[in-house]
Amino acid sequence: MKRRLVQAVLVSGVVLGVLAAGSARGLAHHSAAMFDEKKTITVEGEVKEFQLTNPHSWLLVDVKDKTGKVTTWGFEAEGPSTLARAGIKPSDLRPGTKLTITGNPMKDGTRAAIWVNAVRADGKAFNPRAGFAVR
Amino acid sequence: MKRLLTLAGCFALVALCAGCKGPPAVEAPGLSKAPAGSIPQRTREQNAALGREHKTAWDLFQALKAEAKGGQRLPASMVPDWSGVYSRPADKGFTFDPDTPPGVTTTAKLTPEYQAKLEKRIADLKRGIEWDPISTCAPPGHPRWLTEPFLREFVPTPNQTWLINEMVNDIRRVYTDGRDHVPAEDRYPLYNGDSIGFWDGGSLVVHTNQLQGGIYQRQNPDYSDQVETVEIWHKADDATMAADVWVYDPPSLAEPWYVQQRYAKLANPDKALRIRYWNCAENQNNAVHQTQDGTTQFNGFSFDSKSGKK
Repeated sequence: MKRRLVQAVLVSGVVLGVLAAGSARGLAHHSAAMFDEKKTITVEGEVKEFQLTNPHSWLLVDVKDKTGKVTTWGFEAEGPSTLARAGIKPSDLRPGTKLTITGNPMKDGTRAAIWVNAVRADGKAFNPRAGFAVR
Repeated sequence: MKRLLTLAGCFALVALCAGCKGPPAVEAPGLSKAPAGSIPQRTREQNAALGREHKTAWDLFQALKAEAKGGQRLPASMVPDWSGVYSRPADKGFTFDPDTPPGVTTTAKLTPEYQAKLEKRIADLKRGIEWDPISTCAPPGHPRWLTEPFLREFVPTPNQTWLINEMVNDIRRVYTDGRDHVPAEDRYPLYNGDSIGFWDGGSLVVHTNQLQGGIYQRQNPDYSDQVETVEIWHKADDATMAADVWVYDPPSLAEPWYVQQRYAKLANPDKALRIRYWNCAENQNNAVHQTQDGTTQFNGFSFDSKSGKK
């Protein structure tokens, strides 16, 4: 069922659902006003590049549609040290890694989103916001 | 040769002290542990009242110095161990006062002008409009510096203490060698201001002036370029650094704002958490601008490979 939903998004590109209020917060450095934090999108694809940079890292994901056309989505997260605190390492998401990723999309329809959660084909999940937890 | 090095060291010390000004704090005698402090422990309410008893941050700083019997200068053997990597718990968001009750906008008693500014900021966000002045890679500046949720280190040494925030390689230097602030006629606005302090046992008491205006954090109030602070830093327990903070800013605050800041020592068993150089402008995909209606928008993405490094 889940797989069918993901495929539906890949074909139609429409928004999947509404995120529970308060589950995402504005990003440090710049406001998140350009993202719609009440909506989520989920796409399935493979990692094109993991840009570990400050103040934000970007996970570029290549998504193939039914016709075989590839488009690149960008998922924004916090910088490398916050990702490290979330247990996310460069070696976890090498180019070519297959995953399903969920994010809060841009309001203007640009193919970019705040990275909320990524699940690798082996089931391991990566949630950047967990990096703000103190433990 | 050894004698020559010793002599050179003495000259260096004399040269350093020649630059010292103001009433020197007394160097504690040869103990291995900092002597007990003299400033009494106060409750949150008592500290808030203490702030109101003094008209300016400088007055409060002087009163604390009097309580500390002039304060101390600590030799290297007595400087406290504040080692470790810390961060500000983000569970309550980035609010300047981490003890703000749920549903309360701010615990600051704002002047009407600054209350109106805050209300407009909150109303704007409800319309999807928000702009953060650090979006173009400016440093947060103090006192906002206290709120950022990234890695921190606290490094006390006999003559100065470094309060380090990973974000934009941001270091506040607190001089404890007895020097005074820069003369009033030579002051100009600085992101982190000018900080001088003294030790009271294991507590570092700091006065900061020469600051510039800013915001405490998004969805928090503004402060003006008249803002000054007094802080008392200490290690509350093995895993917590704490700071009592009083903010004075007559244009924005109807009375001094007292808050307690806390920073938790992060578990770092494999020592993987390390503070690295932070180049805020290294990825073109992070560049944003303020739109005509006042909100934030990306300049445009390049999702080509290697687009992350300019």
